Amino acid sequence: MTAATLDPHEHHLTPSVRRGPVRRLLLGPGFIRAGWMFCLFGAIGFGLVVGFRWWGGWQPLFDMTPITLVSLLVAGPLGFLAGIGAFDYWTRYAIGSPTRPEDHSGHGARTWHDYFRVNTDHKVIGVQYLVTTIFFFIAGGFLAMLVRVQLARPGNHFFDPQTYNGLFSVHASLMIFLFVIPAFAGLANFVVPLMLGAPDMAFPRLNALSFWLLPIAGIMMLSSFLVPGGAFACGWTGYAPLCSTHQPLGAIFFNQGVQWAGASSIMTALNFLVTIITMRAPGLTFWRLPLLVWANFTTSLLVVIATPFIAGSQFFSMFDHVMHTAFFDPNNGGYPLGYQHIFWFYSHPAVYIMMLPGFGIMSEVISVFSRKPIFGYRLMALSLMAIVVLGFSVWAHHMFTSGMSSWLRVPMMVTTLLIAVPTGIKIFSWIATMWEGKLHFNTPMLFALGFLSMFVIGGLSGVMLGAVPIDIHVTDTYFIVAHLHYVLFGGSVFTIFAGIYYWFPKMTGRMYDERLGKLHFWLTFVGFNLTFFPMHLLGTEGMPRRVADYAPKFADLNMFISLASFGLGASVLVFLYNMITSWKNGPIAPANPWRALTLEWQVSSPPPIFNFDEIPQVVGSPYEYGVPGAQHAILAPSPTHAVEEVAAP
Amino acid sequence: MAAAHAEHLEHHGPPAPHYSSRVTPGVLGMFLFIASEIMLFGSFFTAYFFVRVVNGTPWPTPPYHLPVYVAFINTCILVTSSFSMHWGLQSIKRGNVWGLRAGLLLTFLMGLSFLITQAIEYSRIGFNTTNGAFATIFFCLTGLHGVHVFVGLSILGFMTIRAFRGHFSAEEHHGVEIGGIYWHFVDVMWIVVYLTVYIL
Repeated sequence: MTAATLDPHEHHLTPSVRRGPVRRLLLGPGFIRAGWMFCLFGAIGFGLVVGFRWWGGWQPLFDMTPITLVSLLVAGPLGFLAGIGAFDYWTRYAIGSPTRPEDHSGHGARTWHDYFRVNTDHKVIGVQYLVTTIFFFIAGGFLAMLVRVQLARPGNHFFDPQTYNGLFSVHASLMIFLFVIPAFAGLANFVVPLMLGAPDMAFPRLNALSFWLLPIAGIMMLSSFLVPGGAFACGWTGYAPLCSTHQPLGAIFFNQGVQWAGASSIMTALNFLVTIITMRAPGLTFWRLPLLVWANFTTSLLVVIATPFIAGSQFFSMFDHVMHTAFFDPNNGGYPLGYQHIFWFYSHPAVYIMMLPGFGIMSEVISVFSRKPIFGYRLMALSLMAIVVLGFSVWAHHMFTSGMSSWLRVPMMVTTLLIAVPTGIKIFSWIATMWEGKLHFNTPMLFALGFLSMFVIGGLSGVMLGAVPIDIHVTDTYFIVAHLHYVLFGGSVFTIFAGIYYWFPKMTGRMYDERLGKLHFWLTFVGFNLTFFPMHLLGTEGMPRRVADYAPKFADLNMFISLASFGLGASVLVFLYNMITSWKNGPIAPANPWRALTLEWQVSSPPPIFNFDEIPQVVGSPYEYGVPGAQHAILAPSPTHAVEEVAAP
Repeated sequence: MAAAHAEHLEHHGPPAPHYSSRVTPGVLGMFLFIASEIMLFGSFFTAYFFVRVVNGTPWPTPPYHLPVYVAFINTCILVTSSFSMHWGLQSIKRGNVWGLRAGLLLTFLMGLSFLITQAIEYSRIGFNTTNGAFATIFFCLTGLHGVHVFVGLSILGFMTIRAFRGHFSAEEHHGVEIGGIYWHFVDVMWIVVYLTVYIL
């Protein structure tokens, strides 16, 4: 926003705007203010802890564990958020000062600087999410490469066991909390308001805040390698009492990092739910919603209901560590198994939080590239709801060997097997959608087909693991590692790639390189299978997971897996090169390169700042491909300058 | 930033939004937030269940005692504050600004006295978080609720400041309504905590 366009009466509201450039730099929202406010809030947190301990007469006065927690992991990040400007509007509102009238200066990104600010435009936030999550994807992938270096041959001493345990723990935490879950949130952030015919999300400022919590969580988890004692090293599940009392300081970096990521996730989900319920365009009934919107609606329900449970489990674990409470301490009246129950009550639904948005992307991509209406639209939506409901009743299948009451096993096995039914409905509906369709094998479609085949393999090994006897045999072996990577990599990651390629023209206004996209797909597909399929064999032979060494008889397969995994890692470079060069100077994308019907493709690429000049009128289903004369929505004719915006970089 | 370029892209503003539901976004958002808060309390009550029911921990574990009567007075204070909150909201709906100000101020003071009483109770209770599972659950459940009272008090404080600075009217009082919903939630939650921790 330039000074010339500022409302004149705003000047007395924000004195820092009028004063000299130095004061503006120090006091205006941005990274400099974020830096000194981080230090200030950190110092206040330090003072609070030390002051409280002095007042209570506790020894030692300078106990590093609570000081780190309060000042570095809670107060400091709050200061950072305040400094970057996430709370500016609310602070003015709260104390009754005149708020900046919504002049939309926070909307849209005109230069790359705008991506490093608190920006309330859902399209900018979507891109911020995706770039941030891909950064953490690469960081997590790098850690996985290090894990494979250690496992390349038996008896390797590249890392000591504690460091090795830290590597796979941080790898999993980054991939789950900082890549898969927020990458879906990023894609949905960009697409859902457009699909609804809404100018933005319901709470744009909350949306901006929930994005800025993510880098905090990610940096917290990564930086745990730097603290004395090393990173948290008890797996991403953080089982108590191992993680609650027997770990170095790094454990609370995990506990608190999960809290920040979880808070971000809850706020985003709440925002999606309110947006989908209250901001649909006229005529856009629930039975006309694109399935991506349905998928995010159901996912958000899961997040709002389930995520507080992981917050609870991490609080308990952290309190046991910091305040020496006895939640999971059996010698003091605690109940160690309680951690697993509370943790999995979130973390099994979290499996669906990491899968349902991908189902939504698949429905869009498969229908568009098959030029056919989606098969069984209503059943597709209802099966999502069925997964949500069933998803809450299966958590203890992660605990068959934990020593929990044995009567719980069979009911949990039955519900686990039942959940294959709604998932199967979706798989068969996608296949039926493609049946006799006119298939176009563009990169998004390739990833969609890759997803279908890989997810079926992961789903089948999931059904095997749901059966108690098989689960007992392969618990904590590489069979589990193979299974979870088939559903999370072959499932979620493939759908994320499909979504990124599919909406890349809409987000950037430029086309990606199709040949590089296809190369990326085939490298990923082949590398993925070579890496993870042999793990099934290792698992059934009894190679334990989460151990830095293994029996010599597994040596050949492990060397093979390590080599394949480096190839898989290298395939990401193709993706990065394609994205960066295409974004900079790819060919200009037309408004609707895929000839899709959903609303986001009916506006220019990239969309105008406020998405629509007038809210469109929805008149039909979004999937009537190949039906003559079918229309999803009627849009007001766009003004002339919207055409010019396409050319703007 | 090139001013001419920016001006060129300047838009006429967003289109008038279309609301597809009778519920206002703010109220719906608050209810969803409360749903998520209930689940957070739910996880703490699950821990309570494990310690008290599954493990059979004696409640309160001797030699400790819980000040049931002081907490009862405190409960009465908090429940009363819900009524004064409601009175304030009803006043502003009729355009009575001073009724709102008095209602908010009374609610704030009662909430504050609840929190101070709670703090004094903590300091005189004779055990701390390291004294076994009973103490753990007592401090964490009442502490979690205390944090919610603190957040509610902050919201109330800001609403009071705004009310005294001349905001809110018979037409425009969403801030009071949404903050009020949260305060009622905090009160109801306390009744559940009081019944499970002190009485049962």
